[in-house]
Amino acid sequence: MEPLISVALRDGKRVYHPGDTLTCEYQIDGVARDEIQAIEASVLWHTEGKGDEDLGVHYFERHTVGEVNGGDLRALRRLETRLPNSPLSYLGVVVKIRWCVRVRVFLRRGKDVVVQHPFQLGDVPAVVLEQVEQEE
Amino acid sequence: MPRQFRLWQKKRGERRTGSKLLGSVGEALFAAALFLIGLVALAALVTVQILHAGHDGARLSGWGLWLLILVFASLLLMGGVGVVYTLLQLGASVERRSEMVRRATNLELIRKAIPEPQEFLTIPHDADLTNSPGITLAYRLPIAYSPAWKLFPVLAFCLVWNGVASVLLVLAFDSFTAGRPDWFLTSFLVPYLAVGVGSIVFFVRQLVMLARVGPTSVEISDHPLLPGGRYSVFLSQAGRISVEKIDLLLVCEEEATYHQGTDVRTESRCVYEQPLFSQQGFEILPGVPFESDCEFQVPEQAMHSFRSNCNAVQWKLVVAGAAKGLPPYRRSFPVIVYPRASGNGSAGWSP
Repeated sequence: MEPLISVALRDGKRVYHPGDTLTCEYQIDGVARDEIQAIEASVLWHTEGKGDEDLGVHYFERHTVGEVNGGDLRALRRLETRLPNSPLSYLGVVVKIRWCVRVRVFLRRGKDVVVQHPFQLGDVPAVVLEQVEQEE
Repeated sequence: MPRQFRLWQKKRGERRTGSKLLGSVGEALFAAALFLIGLVALAALVTVQILHAGHDGARLSGWGLWLLILVFASLLLMGGVGVVYTLLQLGASVERRSEMVRRATNLELIRKAIPEPQEFLTIPHDADLTNSPGITLAYRLPIAYSPAWKLFPVLAFCLVWNGVASVLLVLAFDSFTAGRPDWFLTSFLVPYLAVGVGSIVFFVRQLVMLARVGPTSVEISDHPLLPGGRYSVFLSQAGRISVEKIDLLLVCEEEATYHQGTDVRTESRCVYEQPLFSQQGFEILPGVPFESDCEFQVPEQAMHSFRSNCNAVQWKLVVAGAAKGLPPYRRSFPVIVYPRASGNGSAGWSP
């Protein structure tokens, strides 16, 4: 059975600005305690579109069974980080930049499960394809 | 995911046919094999050299010995690095690997070597754009690439092609004078010479264009640029041409690089173009360059400049000209746009 990973941004916002503090909570359900080997949580940007994916991690934390009292990695955790000045979220034609909180759970049987919660950094409007084509 | 290999089409991106784990294990085994071969071969070479010390005929020496050492040591090094790299890839998620790289770049020694400003990651550094003061305005922008560089590959092609053509021509001529005409060579030579003559004509046209359309210079009042900011720009175009039209544009281009099999392809797309200045129907005389200045504003909600390994958002000032008797030309001058200060005032570039 796949674990159920819940990721929620604390203040419910979806649009942030450079310098804002991002607070996020995450927890694991639907899986036995001893099934989980490690958890990684990261705040990162990645590109989408025609080009190969680029990725940049702004914040990263990793927890393993040995580090946690009682060895239960399923408990509710919170991460907090101050968002950087760049890169801003961007929806272009061949290049898109997206920000997200990504939680990755490593299970004992060698599998890993990933959940991500997107958010927007900055307020750069999407490039409108019709305008671009008219200009061409 | 397809389970059959497509023989005649290069695969694009990182999609896999087969198990990723098996692929990684295979890579590790291959690297380990290289390491073992290098180790065994190097050990055997050293052993032979020691055992045959004093018997010069049985020992290797000089260039041969060092070449073998170099080859075996390379195998050892490549294999060792390959095993370590593959094991790191196997054990770490993509986020963890990226975090390791980020920590490594934060080391003081490496931070000093990296020109990127740490508070504005992924924005190219502007040191190369602001190290040349202008005559009229604050900064003279460097051109993206000099049009003279385009001549070198054309010249190389011209020389090689026409060199071979002249040899073939002499051979064909000799066959005719000897009374044994080589018709196959002669028929092959006709299109070959046509390409050769065409390359000479093309090269001469490019050379004439370079000589007649002189240097283009663009200066700007401030740098880097900010969304919503107003700037002055000064354009100077030298040469000896009868200009039909000359335009100065502010352009934003997206660039995406992707792998398709072993090929690396790049696609560019213009996503913003703002005409700043345009003039038509005038003469540029030698020693009297055309000069003009104007003001422009960067769009309020412009995306900042961005560069990562495979993707980029680039801003540039572009001079596009058309002259009588010459092909149109386009010269680009990169600029960098930083993100504007946010509402909370805690971010954004400030001088």
